Formats: sequence, C-alpha cells, structure tokens
Amino acid sequence: MSAVNPTAATAPDTRQVVVETLREEASIWLFVVKTLVAFFATGWLAMRFDLPAPSTAMLTTIIVANRQAGMVLAKSFYRAIGTVGGATVAVGIVAAFPQQRDLFLLALSLWIGVCSGGATLYRNFKSYAFVLGGYTAAIVAIPVIDNPPGVFDSAVARLSEVLLGLLVSGVVNDVVFPSRMRDVLRRSAREQFAHFVGFVRGATEGAIPRDVMESAHLRFVREAVTLEDLRSSVIFEDADARARSNHLRLFNQRFMAASTSFQSLHHLVNRLKRARRDRTADTLVRLYAPIGEALHVPIEAGMGARVLLPRLADARTTMRAQVSVLRATLDDAQDLRDYDTGASLLMRFVDELHAYVDAAASLQAPRIAGGAAERVRFDRGNDWLGAGLATFRTTITMLVLGIFWIESAWPLGSSAMLLATIFAGLFATTPNPTRVTWIVMLGYLTGMAMGFICEFFVLTQVDGYGLLIVGIAPFLAVGLVMMMSRRLGSFGLGWSMGLAYILALKNVQTYDPAHFINDAIAQVVGLGAAAVSFVVIPPAIGSAWLRRRQLARLRGQVALAAEAPLPGLRHRFESVNHDLVSQVVAQTQPGSADSRALIAWALAVHETGRALIELRHDMARREVASTLRPYLEDALRTLARFYEKPDPAGYLLARDAVATAIASVGEHEGHAHLLEHLHLVRMALLDGESVLAAYMPTAPLAKEIVHAS
Amino acid sequence: MPREIALGDALVPGLLVLFVLALVALALLDWVAGRFGLYRLVWHPPLFRLGVFVCVFGAFALFLI
Repeated sequence: MSAVNPTAATAPDTRQVVVETLREEASIWLFVVKTLVAFFATGWLAMRFDLPAPSTAMLTTIIVANRQAGMVLAKSFYRAIGTVGGATVAVGIVAAFPQQRDLFLLALSLWIGVCSGGATLYRNFKSYAFVLGGYTAAIVAIPVIDNPPGVFDSAVARLSEVLLGLLVSGVVNDVVFPSRMRDVLRRSAREQFAHFVGFVRGATEGAIPRDVMESAHLRFVREAVTLEDLRSSVIFEDADARARSNHLRLFNQRFMAASTSFQSLHHLVNRLKRARRDRTADTLVRLYAPIGEALHVPIEAGMGARVLLPRLADARTTMRAQVSVLRATLDDAQDLRDYDTGASLLMRFVDELHAYVDAAASLQAPRIAGGAAERVRFDRGNDWLGAGLATFRTTITMLVLGIFWIESAWPLGSSAMLLATIFAGLFATTPNPTRVTWIVMLGYLTGMAMGFICEFFVLTQVDGYGLLIVGIAPFLAVGLVMMMSRRLGSFGLGWSMGLAYILALKNVQTYDPAHFINDAIAQVVGLGAAAVSFVVIPPAIGSAWLRRRQLARLRGQVALAAEAPLPGLRHRFESVNHDLVSQVVAQTQPGSADSRALIAWALAVHETGRALIELRHDMARREVASTLRPYLEDALRTLARFYEKPDPAGYLLARDAVATAIASVGEHEGHAHLLEHLHLVRMALLDGESVLAAYMPTAPLAKEIVHAS
Repeated sequence: MPREIALGDALVPGLLVLFVLALVALALLDWVAGRFGLYRLVWHPPLFRLGVFVCVFGAFALFLI
C-alpha cells in the first residue's frame, strides 16, 4: 500500500476507503455465506425428514434472508403466524366446499383479498403475516383441489416445511457472526436524544427561521417513526431490548410530546417578533435562557442523560421564580396576555423535556429500573379505503386467473395462480409495485434460465448432497449478492426465488425438461398477472388520491383532539400524527409542493391540536361555570369543522368562536388558566405565515402554500 | 417416551410435543435472563441460548416421560 500512496497526508484516507470498502464487501459475503448455509442445511434436514417438498423449506430461507439477525427473526416470527393462520383457513375452506370448485375459488379469492387488504394497514412485518396468511391458504388448498381429503396432509407438509426453514435460518442468522440491530437502535436513540437536546440548546437565541423549523420538525417525525420501527424488530433478537421495550416506547412518546410543545413555543416567539412586539418576545427568550444553560454540557456516550436531570430541575425552579419577576417588567395588557400564554407553554415544555430526559436516563441505565414502565401504544393512522382497494384488486386477480384456469383446463394453472397470489400480496404494500413487480419478474426469468442450465447441465453430472451444494451455490450466490446491492435488490430477489423454486429439489430428483419449461411459463404468467393487476387497478399507496385522503385525515386530527374521549388522547394524537406525516413524507418528493403543503398543515394541526387537548384537560380538571361552557364547546366544535373542511367561511366562524370564547372567559372569574390555551389557538389562527393564511379574508392568497384540499 | 401422542385424534410425534414444550421453557428462561441482564455475563448470547435450548430439550426428552 505504501508504494501506492506517496504522500503521508493521503495515506490514511486511502486506507480508510479501502478498509471501509472491504468491510462493506465482507458484510455482503457474510450474508451470502449465512444464507447459503441456512439454505443447504434446511435442504439436507428436509430430505432427511423425508418432507414432500424440500424446495419449499429452502425457498423460505431465501424469503426471510436479511443482513440483520433481528429482521430475520422478526420476519420469521410473522411468517410463522401467517403460515399457521393460512393453513388453518385452507383446511376450513376445503372442508366447506369439497365438491364446489366455483364456490371454493370464490371463498379462496375472498380470503386472499382480505389478507392483502389487511396487509396495507400495517407498516412493518405484521403486514407480512397477513400476506402469508393469504397465500399459504392458496398453497395448501390449490394442489389438493382434485383430492379434498388430502388437505390435512398438505397443510401439515406445508407447515413443517416452512417452520423448518424458519427455524434453521433463525438459528443460523442468530448464532453465526450475527449482525445486531440492537446497536443501530441504541445509536439512533442516542442520536435522537443528542439532536433534540442540541437543537433546544441552539434555540436559546430565540427566533428560528420557519424553514429550519420545518425541516427540524420533519427530522423529528422521521426519527420518532424510525425508532418505533426499529424497536419492533429488535425485540426479537435481544432479550435485553425486549425487557426495555416499554421504556423505549415511553421515551419515544415523550420525545414526540416535547418536540410538539417546543415548536409551538417557537412559532409563538416568531409571531411576536414579526408583529414587532420584541419586548414580549425578548422577555420570553430571557425566561427560556435557564434551559439553554442547563443543557450546556457536552453529551458523551454512556453518561449523557442522567447529568442533565438535576440541571433541568434547577432550571425549572429558577424559571418558576422568574415568571413573576419578568412579568412585572411588562405593563401593556396585550404584552401581558401574550407573555402569560408563552410562559405557560414554556413551563409545559420544561416539564415535558424533564420527563423526556428522565426516560432517556432510565433507558441508559445499566439495570432496568422498576418493571412498571407505563404502558403506551404507538397508534397508526390507517386508511380503510386503501385497504378495501387492495382487497378488491387481489380478489379480482384471483377470480380472473381462477376462471381462466377452469375454462382452459390448463394443467399448470394452479402454479400460475399461486405465484400471482404471492406477488400480488407481497408487493401490494410497496410504493411503486408495478415497477418492482416487473423488475422481480425479469429477475425471476433470469433465475429460471440459470436454473435450466444448473439443473440439466450441472446437476445431471453430480452425485450426492455435497456435490449438489457445490453445483448450486455459485448460481445462487450471484442472486444473493445482487440482493444486497441497492440498485439490483429486487432483481436479485427474483433471481434467487426463481432459481430456488424451479430447481424443485427433492429426495428423488426428476429431470424433465418439458415439465420444467411448462412450469416456468406458468410462473411467468402468474407473475405477469400480478404485474398487470397493479396496472389495471393502481395501488392506492403513493397516489395523489391517497395523499389527499391522508392530508384530510391529518386535518381531521384536530377534530379528534377536540372531540375524542380524553383518556390517552395525548399519546394517540401524537403517534397517529407522526405516523401519518411520515407516511406522506415517504411518498412525496422532498421539497415538492405536496410535501411543503403537508408540512405546513402538519405544523398547524400539531399546534392547534395540542392546545385543544390541554384546554380540554383543564376543562375536565376543574369546574367550569355553566354559562361559560357552551362558548368553549362552540369554539371546539367550529375549530374541528374548520379543520375537517377548510374554507374561508369556516375560518371566519372558527376565528369568531375562539374570540367569543376568550371574551367570555374574561367575563368569568377564576378561569384564567383556560385563557392561555385559547390564546395559543387564536394566535395560530391569525398567523399570516401559516397554511391558514390562504383562508383569511383580508390576506391575499399565499403563493407559497398550495391549496391542499 | 411414547413415539406418538394423539392430539384430537391426530398422531403427533412425541418429540415434536417435547420440542414445543422446550421452546416454551426457553422463552421463559430468556425472559428471566433479559429482565435481570444475565446475558451481560455471557460472551455470545445467541450461542448460549442455543446451548441452553439443547440442554433443555435433551433433558425433557430423557427425563420427562
């Protein structure tokens, strides 16, 4: 190496590059070796156990193959659930319609459709369990269509093959040089913490430009959702992480709460500055200063959070004392009102920040402190209509193929139907299924062509399992390597699956070129049918239609905040919001008009929704005069209606209702605590830079913000 | 140990039943180990877990019935 790098300055760089490349390559080849070991060990065991189709078990190891042990285990877990469910349903369907092929196909198509609809409701491997439940039923039931009593044996065979494949690849991936996702999880939790604390600290100067705030908000949302996704996989690989799972959820929930309060606080300061009310804004920033000082310690790995706790508690005490001192420096009535609003928001933020840091500290502690972590859930924002569409598409595909099969009496029709089921289900949840299916189909074709060469030119020459391994491994390894590259991933998946399927390894291998080619054609027809079905009934995911619906759903969150039952509402509101935003973000181009409109709406919804929830909590906590209550409820209701269906008239109604509520709170004694939330809502409504500006009667239509409905 | 056990008139290999029982036992042990951080004392937790499973399964097969 030294001869290649003459200067000392470039030497470490080059070496680093080489080392990193080698490390990357090594992890790819480790994946290939692990998958091959799992593949052939499964095949050997399946043949020893005399299972009817060892190739199914071997195919399973390819389907669950992943670089991360936790992903393999998580996928295996859900695959097992799906397989058991699907096999049970298959036995039921065959038992119900043993003589009626039409009703049988109808019932099967419906079941598969329902399963792929259910799959769109989940975003991690849980969706995979649904897909599996669908196509396992087809795999079990279709081959025994001529021989209904055989369904039980078919179900048992399928179950044992899949479970064997899962068991072997789970053990291999977990034991042989496992690559742990736990470290990724730990790192991203720590990064989330460091980012947020750094951002809060950096904001001591006061105003943050709106675009910085928006991109920060987007990053916070992404981090919250990523953490949740990671958590749901890591709990399978690591008992330690499983024990801390609830702490981690709590940490994430508190993160979401604190980041929402933080950004509403900053919008408030920004608004004040824009309105040339610098005095109030500066006073608020001064009140905020202790937080910045408290956070001003370098966050090092390992210790971090616990150091911050006492400092934050001190800052909170200082701030409590300062609230009234600083308040005395203001005299104007409007200034005082805004100051009170900001101060109460600030106190809420400090409490939430403290809770968040506390959760982080208990997460970083070596021992798990107390088993009684609060039970929290991460709610998802699901779209039932999208799920219905997926159900409809898959059912129709199955029915069309089934009718074709019956009418043409095609001997390999079942094979085509199976593959169409598998792919229509597997790719229904990807953003661009048509393209992915085509690429996988190309890979599948290539893999089957390679399979032809492998089976008739290589395998015919060899004898014994050892040589079989030697004969197949090179062909399979190419596909596995491609699976790991970003560009060729789907192609490689198709290649490996096509190869593993078409070889159809079994104890007494049959070499029948005619059957081989017929089967290959059936496979391609099945895949093509799946691809065509995605073209004919376009998937909802990623379409403008679904995006509009998601945006409407996001706005509807305000109605949720205003009207849903209170217990657990804060968490529900936050997590559904984050999930919805991240779904739409994943499906829009960064910086496009759609994505900007989305973020603008998300900020408005977050701020108003949280204020409404706090308002309702305060209303529930203390007695509200009966003459006042109607006004408050009216404000809640009109706001909910306005966000559900934004238009200028609704905007005026909401604005007036909030103003009336504020006025009537002023007329009643002892309800001042409600005023802060109402002011916050009112200021959000009047903000000329927010997405709501488009509905203001006086302001010209904002050019920046696309009319999103 | 009976070679086959009848579960709802379906004959199931006795070893399979023990295998599932051993998995359940392993899940319990795993939970305890995770709760009290015992895996910190082990070099390679998954390998250790596999070893424990082999012991549990072997012990069940030898002594249970």
